[in-house]
Amino acid sequence: MRAMQLDTPDSPQPALPRGLSALVETCLVTMNSMLSGLQSAIQVMSGQPTAGRSGAPVKGPKNMDSAVSEFADRLVRIFRFKSWESSDPRMLFAELLKASRVCFGFVNLEDPRNVVVPLQFVVSSATLMVQQALRGLVSYDVVGPRKFVRFVGDFAESFTDTPVFVGLEYMDLIAAYEARLGRSPGDDVLRAELGHLQIKCGLYNQAADNLLKAALNPAVRATALHDAAVALHRAGKLKSAAKAGSDSLYACPDNERARAWLWLTAQKMGGYPAFVPAGQRMEVKVGYETPKVEFEDIAAKIGLDKTSGGRGIAVFDYDNDGRLDVAIASAHGGCTLYRNNGDGMFTDVSVGSGLEECVNPFVITVGDYNNDGNADLFVTRYGFYDGETQLFRNNGDGTFTDVTAAAGLKLWGPSFSASWVDYDRDGHLDLFIANNLGGLFDRKTPNRLFHNNGNGTFTEVTEAAGLSTLWPTIGSAWGDYNDDGYPDLFLSNALGRSQLYRNNGDGTFTDISAAAGIRDNCFGSVSFWCDYNNDGLLDIVQFTWSDHENVLHTMRHGEAPPDGRPARIYRNNGDGTFALLGRNVGLTGCWGTMSGNAGDFNNDGYLDLVLGNGSPRMDRLEPPVLLEYDGERYHNVTFAAGLPFGGKGHGSNMADLFGDGRLSVLVAAGGAYPGDLLTTRVFCPKSLPGNFLNVRLTGLKSNRSAIGARLSLESGGRKQHREVSGGSNFGCLPFEQHFGLGTSQTADALQIRWPSGLVQTFKNLPINDTLHFTEGQESWKRPYRS
Amino acid sequence: MPRMIGNSITQKIGSPMEGFQLADLERKQITLQMILAGKKGAVVVFWSGMCSHCARYDNYLNSFGQRYAEIGLVVVASRPPETLAQLRATCATRQLRFPILKDAAGQLAKRWFTQQTPRVFLLDANCVLLYRGAIDNFKCPGDPEFVPYLDIALEEFLAQRPITRSEIASFGCAIQSIYYDFPKAL
Repeated sequence: MRAMQLDTPDSPQPALPRGLSALVETCLVTMNSMLSGLQSAIQVMSGQPTAGRSGAPVKGPKNMDSAVSEFADRLVRIFRFKSWESSDPRMLFAELLKASRVCFGFVNLEDPRNVVVPLQFVVSSATLMVQQALRGLVSYDVVGPRKFVRFVGDFAESFTDTPVFVGLEYMDLIAAYEARLGRSPGDDVLRAELGHLQIKCGLYNQAADNLLKAALNPAVRATALHDAAVALHRAGKLKSAAKAGSDSLYACPDNERARAWLWLTAQKMGGYPAFVPAGQRMEVKVGYETPKVEFEDIAAKIGLDKTSGGRGIAVFDYDNDGRLDVAIASAHGGCTLYRNNGDGMFTDVSVGSGLEECVNPFVITVGDYNNDGNADLFVTRYGFYDGETQLFRNNGDGTFTDVTAAAGLKLWGPSFSASWVDYDRDGHLDLFIANNLGGLFDRKTPNRLFHNNGNGTFTEVTEAAGLSTLWPTIGSAWGDYNDDGYPDLFLSNALGRSQLYRNNGDGTFTDISAAAGIRDNCFGSVSFWCDYNNDGLLDIVQFTWSDHENVLHTMRHGEAPPDGRPARIYRNNGDGTFALLGRNVGLTGCWGTMSGNAGDFNNDGYLDLVLGNGSPRMDRLEPPVLLEYDGERYHNVTFAAGLPFGGKGHGSNMADLFGDGRLSVLVAAGGAYPGDLLTTRVFCPKSLPGNFLNVRLTGLKSNRSAIGARLSLESGGRKQHREVSGGSNFGCLPFEQHFGLGTSQTADALQIRWPSGLVQTFKNLPINDTLHFTEGQESWKRPYRS
Repeated sequence: MPRMIGNSITQKIGSPMEGFQLADLERKQITLQMILAGKKGAVVVFWSGMCSHCARYDNYLNSFGQRYAEIGLVVVASRPPETLAQLRATCATRQLRFPILKDAAGQLAKRWFTQQTPRVFLLDANCVLLYRGAIDNFKCPGDPEFVPYLDIALEEFLAQRPITRSEIASFGCAIQSIYYDFPKAL
């Protein structure tokens, strides 16, 4: 095996010497294994039930690991939100006692088995520290010493806020700040903190009032004015926002976040106001390469302009009328189902569908798990906090039934992406759930693989399959990289190393990351398999999440800084190894990518990319990014193609919504905080940029959704390849496979390799059409019904 | 196909909504018909004093009667843990002047397929549903992208024109959530 060398131009020098970093990492991983083993041994010897998440902790944690993690989280919250009371030791003691009671209330001191509790506490704390050290090591390695402290600060702020916001305690917190300010009206630090909090709650005018008052104090002037600029911009007071932003830069000329926000305000105003001096202005040098197609935002025109904290977008035909419908999952907005009317408009049909009862959804993934011909939905929750997953069975009459419990999928945890996959090729869709972190001090919740029993129920097989990992996982993507017919698994891990598991075909998997050359550290975001270079081999596209400073550097300089880690491609060498590509193929920008997908939106025969970008911070808006691929390099055409400057994208999808060959880009927008809601965008090509062919599949012996089917289309002397995906990130692509044909007038041959192993070839197909193939049948049909 | 829930079916735009009778903060029983009396229509807002999205609309709702004298307004507080005492305190602190009814167990919200606050329903004098969803697109007046969905629907209704957009997905805080049952984070 030819493993790729790590020292490539696309693998920047880490902050720590590689040898030292690897040694520390190995030590920490070993320590974690030993401590985890010790914990298990203590539990077994004492006769306690094994640890792990076992449902929502409505009455607080239920085991030592959860309790220690929760206690650590609470200590941070006490320090952050109640530090002003720390001058009174009694108050602090009372807070600590309250936290202890909540976290360790499950311990029954009368149970003789709990004599080991003190030892468990020590071992559990040590395990937590080891896992935190491991994540800290990776973070330091990736962001480097200069930005490490700020990165940790941003990270800690978001994670510490989450429980306060999901429990709707923010209004209490505002009241507490106001009460404290009533007692100390001159405390400008506190006033600035209150303003910062009010922005997150969407109370922009109140926030601006407080922040402008606090800004009179030189100690907090620069940050308060920057926050005021954010609040005023969001309140629609653009001139005042520009003034505050400019003043903030006078107070701190090096604040690149303030400079970027001022630029954003100027874009909305149609240009910088005259009072902004040249030294405070910035020019964006990315996103202006010449596009092959231009887009217009049609979301409002077609009725898909849902405002919320957009998360997953699934495009699928829920009512089997041939038209692609849309489901949008949202924080602060539930799950909305839109029916494609076939007249260019979509109608919200959520009410009464059963999906309207799905609140706080995160990722939606589509698959016909019971092979009844109706597309079902699996929904995860939060991703950065714990929640309960849900399986909705499509009843085929426009309604969905929550069958989570009956299916054995009632799970609690920080589930992020989920994928339908028939990993054992038995014709029934199995389910993989990737788990991230649910808190600042959370431990890794195992990813989970569920085998479909074929009777509406699922059985967990994670351990037997050998899919355990220590890293928090965000993206999980299934694809058959070695063409053995069995789907393999790529994990895009946040704060850790990416991993590739080979499917052994017997229900087990082998981690072949090192041998395959997949060992680079990054903040892995979503990923997917696709044949980006049309060589017939599935490659891996992995998006990365970058810190704000690297994004701003990209915007100002046109490319990422040398130590940045842009999106990357693991090119399949065809011999079990992969080559890491990035800047050398035009993936030069750092973005806070949360989601993305591939599709040939310019119909030139090469898959292009869309990236949905953002971060929880209220002062961080960044555009969705469009990258056109020309067979050699990716070109950032975002702004030139007509996309907006500011946003916060999650589910990013591409679909031919109207069956006319124009691949629209759908972006579910919005952030984590209630004050960070944005409107879903649908960017549709203004004109048909080239010929096309859309292909749909229905499996019979294979799973009905044909997930895992491989398609190869020969047209005009060129071949393109697709594999039907069962979801890999926020946005669940439609099962329909879109082929751009450029100027080619023929679709000479389409080969379909069904998951069952059956291979069928169809010749001389019509173009600029949508064709539907059923497994084993020799003819195709058109899916659209009037 | 409409779905039955209890005795009510899925509400369609253009169909009459079922009435209700709920107690206000002084425990006086108020019916939908009372809100509609003498008016051309009514706006029913599902709302919560704990929800920051709702707090954004304090001024809008306080001044609603002045701007739309011909339209009744009622706010329904459906989040179960929110007590009458809390609601009264919220009204006093935030100087809220619009009528609030308490939907004690969130039953009306459930019957009206409402999972988050704020969510508005515009009805005509015959309780026919004209508009359902968000008040606006979360932008603020002054922002070039601001779209006041409810105001547009109201103006079209009062001008006796067809309502262009009769349903916009609403956003907001969940009325019922398992997280509200967790131990307090602070």
